[in-house]
Amino acid sequence: MSRENKLFGDKAFELLKDLERSSQTIPAFDDDGVRQVLEEIKAIFEENVAQASSYNSSGDRSLWPLLNYRHAALQRNKRCLLAYLYERSKRIKALRWEFGPIIPGDIKQALCEPEVQFFNNYSKSLAAYMCIAGCSQGQGIDLTNNLRPPKSLYIEVRCMEDYGKFELDDGELIHLKKNSQHYLPRAQVESLVRQGILQHIA
Amino acid sequence: MFIQDLKNDFYRHLVGKRILIIVNYDIDAICASKILQALFQYDHMLYTVVPIMGITGLRRAYGEHQGDVKYVLLVNCGGCVDIVELLQPAEDVTFFICDAHRPLDVCNIYSDRQVCILGDAALEENIPAFETIFHDSDEEDDDQDQSDEEDEEEVHNDSGAGDSDGDEDSAQRPAVRPKLTRLERHEQRILRQRARRQWESERDRIMFEYTQFSYYGRSTALLIFELAWKLSKDNMDLLWWAIVGISEQLLLGKIESGAYTLELEQIQSHVSRLTNKTNDQNTMSASKISFENDLHLVLYRHWPVTDSMRYSRYASCQLKLWTLRGEKRLHELLLEMGLPLVHARQTYSSMDLVLRKEFYSMVERLAEKYDIPDIVYGTFTLSYGYRSRYAAADYVYALLAIMESVKKHKTPEDCFMEASDALNRQHKQLLGAGIDNAKLLHAAIFRQVQSSLEARQVHSAGSFFYYVLQEEHAFFSYPYALGLLAKFILRGHVATSRARAAPDLPLIATCPLDATQGMCLLVGIAPVREDSPKNFFGKAFEQAAQKSKTTLLQDFFEPSVVQLRQSDLTRFLDALTVLLT
Repeated sequence: MSRENKLFGDKAFELLKDLERSSQTIPAFDDDGVRQVLEEIKAIFEENVAQASSYNSSGDRSLWPLLNYRHAALQRNKRCLLAYLYERSKRIKALRWEFGPIIPGDIKQALCEPEVQFFNNYSKSLAAYMCIAGCSQGQGIDLTNNLRPPKSLYIEVRCMEDYGKFELDDGELIHLKKNSQHYLPRAQVESLVRQGILQHIA
Repeated sequence: MFIQDLKNDFYRHLVGKRILIIVNYDIDAICASKILQALFQYDHMLYTVVPIMGITGLRRAYGEHQGDVKYVLLVNCGGCVDIVELLQPAEDVTFFICDAHRPLDVCNIYSDRQVCILGDAALEENIPAFETIFHDSDEEDDDQDQSDEEDEEEVHNDSGAGDSDGDEDSAQRPAVRPKLTRLERHEQRILRQRARRQWESERDRIMFEYTQFSYYGRSTALLIFELAWKLSKDNMDLLWWAIVGISEQLLLGKIESGAYTLELEQIQSHVSRLTNKTNDQNTMSASKISFENDLHLVLYRHWPVTDSMRYSRYASCQLKLWTLRGEKRLHELLLEMGLPLVHARQTYSSMDLVLRKEFYSMVERLAEKYDIPDIVYGTFTLSYGYRSRYAAADYVYALLAIMESVKKHKTPEDCFMEASDALNRQHKQLLGAGIDNAKLLHAAIFRQVQSSLEARQVHSAGSFFYYVLQEEHAFFSYPYALGLLAKFILRGHVATSRARAAPDLPLIATCPLDATQGMCLLVGIAPVREDSPKNFFGKAFEQAAQKSKTTLLQDFFEPSVVQLRQSDLTRFLDALTVLLT
């Protein structure tokens, strides 16, 4: 595609569309794209500066609409970039709620350095908040549990592998053996479900 | 001990406790356990469900959970064995048994606390009275002591040897026993011993009569559904599971069609009550159960009509569809029905709407003429959404195929779980896969029947037929599939046989189970003419094994299905021949 056919702001728009389209939780940070947009902004700005100075000296009003147009394009590019970063940071926040304080390796590769830092900071402030939030009860609450109120206190689970005896809070012993099906308190078996020993049957 | 009031004596008793549910591998049991699980979930009761196959499985499952649970519920298993003796449970463990297998073990029936059988004692047939089969051993000790004391105190002679009349009298009325001579006492003891021997032989006779036939009682799923109903926790899904449970009993020939028809009326009232209760009945997409007369054709809603006819036991055997003449007769039937071959050969759902609507009436009209009057029976269909419409029989066949689709990477337990998942409406694709599997199974059965009958592989041993499958088979190495095959073969053989006695003879079919261990599966099928599904093979197998000194593995809860060492087979069949003639 020849350069002339490209409109201002196309690249920035492409960047956002890519982010929107991608099926992964977080696509890799598009370094190249961001740099190109920044370059475009810079180019526009320089052209504008040059023409603005000539306008100042000559007072030729015919350049006026062109200047305005370039400025709008520049603003748009900036907005797109900000949107791109904001959307990513939103997803990174969601990551914290979903995966806990440690980023899984494959996702970490997709983040750039400042983003990792952002995650760590966010994680820290969340942890600090969770500590305070539960202060009246003595300990903090893990807010990341039960993001939605559970439908019932008990869940139906199927055992996927031989686990052996499992003791509930009330001292009830339960023998978890492969292919047996149980109805147990959600809070107590949640960790086993996460580990994949139990499977929740909807 | 029987519990009649399930609501108060069983359910209320259990609320808030943890319970172990042990479920046998059959569809009725799966349906019953699904209903139970739904009930327990309403009340937030912890439970554990363990599927088991056979008596060893039961013992192992209980052994694993021993000590953790105080209440054990056995679904369709354990009723016919003495549970206390088999499992040696601790004193405080209570067993609840809901088992459709009959006859129930007398020790379970007369257990006063530990074993509770869910059901109505009045519905059970000829349970032997307590006195006739149990003897109080304490009483005998007392007698012994008493006579010893008598021995010690020497007494004066009365009148020499007392006449026998007097002795018998005194034996009957021990309370007014006069002082006796040593001789008389001796005589008395002998008389007592004789009476005891008589009583014992009488007991053996009664027990034999009681346990001679194995048969099935009421569907467990239905029993449990009635509990749900009494608890006002019934809904469409539970009802449908109960219907599937009882349909299984009918389709596998576990109960007579008469008993089925009697239950139908009750189920119909449940259906209409629940349909009226749900207020979204006017929307087409809501789930709806409806009663209708249907055809005994396997999965015909999901198959071409010709295939379904051919692979259905009843229609196929009446019309002898595996022969060339049968094929012609089928075409004749289709012609008279006015069903074009083009339509008959494509899937039912792609047939012309008009033909589909008239299909039932067309078959019914010609049923008498083509000698297939019993093809019509009353059943229920479940429809939900715009496309899904299943007859209870479809569910049964699909679940059966899922349960017996054991493969290398799929253990029987996986299959069990899959089958119980398939009952949920959310897992439609599982049911669809099951139906496809069932088609394969029925087609395989038909081919096997055809080739066996053509090769005359059904042999007569005088008092019964036997049929030996030589090779391990992907489908027939499982009890239900082998049972279906055996029934088809017996019917087919009787239909073609010229021997007059053929309809009165039972069939024994065997199939190698596991080539490495050299075991084979043995199934006994009641004669065709016999309408009642009572099966005497359980007892006969046991006796034949004793006579021929072969080891028989009667592990299944169906006594007419046993496992046997392949090398013992001939010896066993010989013994059985001698026994049954």
